[in-house]
Amino acid sequence: MSQADWALALTIGIGVALRGLGLLLGGALRPDHPGIAWASAVSVATLAAFVTLAIAAPAGLLATVPLAARLAGLAGGGLAFWLLRGRLLPAMAVGLAALSLARNWTG
Amino acid sequence: MGATFLAFGAAVAEAGLSLPWALLCTGAVYGMAGQLVLLQVAAGGGAAMPATIAATAANARFLPMAVAIAPLLGRAGRRWWALPFIAITPWAAGMRVLPSLPEAARLPWFMGFAVATWSAAMLTTAAGHLAAPLLPPAFRAALLFANPLYFALLLAADAARPGVAPALLAGVLAAPLAYVVGGAWGLPLAGLLGGSLAFLWLRRPARLPRG
Repeated sequence: MSQADWALALTIGIGVALRGLGLLLGGALRPDHPGIAWASAVSVATLAAFVTLAIAAPAGLLATVPLAARLAGLAGGGLAFWLLRGRLLPAMAVGLAALSLARNWTG
Repeated sequence: MGATFLAFGAAVAEAGLSLPWALLCTGAVYGMAGQLVLLQVAAGGGAAMPATIAATAANARFLPMAVAIAPLLGRAGRRWWALPFIAITPWAAGMRVLPSLPEAARLPWFMGFAVATWSAAMLTTAAGHLAAPLLPPAFRAALLFANPLYFALLLAADAARPGVAPALLAGVLAAPLAYVVGGAWGLPLAGLLGGSLAFLWLRRPARLPRG
């Protein structure tokens, strides 16, 4: 098994454990318990760091898209999301279109 | 939701990992935040341990989600059927609909909804993986941007909920740390550190009013 396979297997196992623990504790633990608040904060922070890196310093094929075009995609998607009052799918379409247009425009 | 799994399937193909890897990841991890983080660290040649820690940190919300929905899923024995499907889409629908249903109808409703959305996720993951090599590079690059954009919008919308904004800000500020540390450990380190600092900030003792 490769490292990627091991990582997948371990992540699946821990995911089952986290969900199982939650079902076991359900009703017994208040939603504002410190352990739960910490898990939520780590979850949001990891995701925020991932998104920031993916936009500011991506790897692979996305790195071939200029930073200005990635920022245009983010701005276009964010603006559409706000104007359309939180409708995700059309906002994503606008964001990806803005990224593609900005990429063509910047050459 | 389908769009994110389609983009995930394409990203797995882009990283050179197989269709079974993509399907196992969607089917059994079944939490897009963790799936994306796992893919990024593992596909970058990272070792299994940091990739697992980063993905688990990103999906740590499974625990509070399961705690919240457990009482709605009925008696302890039968609720275990729902375990693999505690993910954001079925969870959010369940939290909204289940309280209004009679108790006997709750678990069957949740299982029906969850299996349908899970099947759609599997199909779109496969479609993304199979279609990716056929698409022009510019289109593939745009598709790889779909998931970061999706989560950027979700996080922005979530920032209004209590306790989310400090963790969001801490994660963004910790991103340069992840970049500087680099490799496979950067992201899990940034997430754990940023999230823990935000947690401590939220629990700081309230200042006494001056008087």
